[in-house]
Amino acid sequence: MKRIVIIPAYNEIESIVSTVEDIRDNAPGFDYVIINDCSQDGTMRFCTQRGMNIINLPVNLGIGGAVQTGYLYAWRNGYDVAVQFDGDGQHDAKYLNAMADYLEANEADMVIGSRFINKEGFQSSGLRRFGIRYFSLLIRFLTGKTVLDPTSGMRMVNRDVMKIYSEDYPVDYPEPESVVTILNMGKKVLEVPVIMRERQGGVSSISAGRSVYYMVKVTLAILMERMRKRRERGL
Amino acid sequence: MMTVKLQVTILLALAVSLAAIVNMIRRKSLELKYALSWLFVCFALAVFAAFPRTMVATARFLGIDAPVNMIFFLGFCFSLLIIYTLTVSLSRMSIKMRRLTQIIALNEDRIKHMEQQLAQLKEEREHEEADSDRLQRPAGESDQPGI
Repeated sequence: MKRIVIIPAYNEIESIVSTVEDIRDNAPGFDYVIINDCSQDGTMRFCTQRGMNIINLPVNLGIGGAVQTGYLYAWRNGYDVAVQFDGDGQHDAKYLNAMADYLEANEADMVIGSRFINKEGFQSSGLRRFGIRYFSLLIRFLTGKTVLDPTSGMRMVNRDVMKIYSEDYPVDYPEPESVVTILNMGKKVLEVPVIMRERQGGVSSISAGRSVYYMVKVTLAILMERMRKRRERGL
Repeated sequence: MMTVKLQVTILLALAVSLAAIVNMIRRKSLELKYALSWLFVCFALAVFAAFPRTMVATARFLGIDAPVNMIFFLGFCFSLLIIYTLTVSLSRMSIKMRRLTQIIALNEDRIKHMEQQLAQLKEEREHEEADSDRLQRPAGESDQPGI
């Protein structure tokens, strides 16, 4: 089983070393690839000098485009399992092996590292938690499936989903929308409890001013996904 | 109603615009596909300017009292249409651009690894050649005992 961790990085120079060391020490069965999305802080040179496996996007694509590059890399290099992992220190590599075992044992297509099963660790601010619960309800209403943490950036997928995502992945705020995409295809999505930390460096892509855009955009995107499915069924 | 002076001015302006558009198409700076809508605008405005009565007739047909309002209204609608088609083609472009960027990034990575492998192979080969040179020398000159 070839397994790989995809680390999208935009200005993560402060936390990238600890992230890679965390994976090396606590998830030994995993390769990793950093996707540098045109960082302004010299992340590229920093990582290259240390001999890290880094892919450099020549123009800035945003989080969706960067993660998709990782899926494309994983697919092209014959990996069986790929997992998204934030480069800012929020995620803990010690869960990766358990997630992979869970994925294989249950023949799941995706396993999400969820903060809200055991409700431990950093739970996000109240308003954000409300937003996450809203997406969760929306997904349950539209697909009948329960996803407690649809915005989690710690997601492990098999080769099927890798292929789907390498062909089509949302540009910004991709998590909830892309979960609905594969749920509509009848893929099996499971969650395992993880504990996340507060970010150690960098800035969240979701600032207060953009949260309205986030809610509206993702809601519409999820509805659109649903309409796509209906059209396909009609054909 | 329109004065002859205004008619001539509009027609002249249209002639200049048309020449500019055609020139851009000729130099392949503007794709004919996108220029068609602009050529159509030029043509329609030219007809209205040259024969103002067509404008009045069209306005009446559409149920608009003042012909000038029809011009504003149609101009507005047409602008929206052009902007809409632009956002559509922009979306397509950004999808293409994203895929190209990703493929370039992945290929750069492959090239880097291939170059490293190539350098390694070259080095190994040089070593081998150096070794076989030594082996081909007459036995007496060999610095390796037993050959």
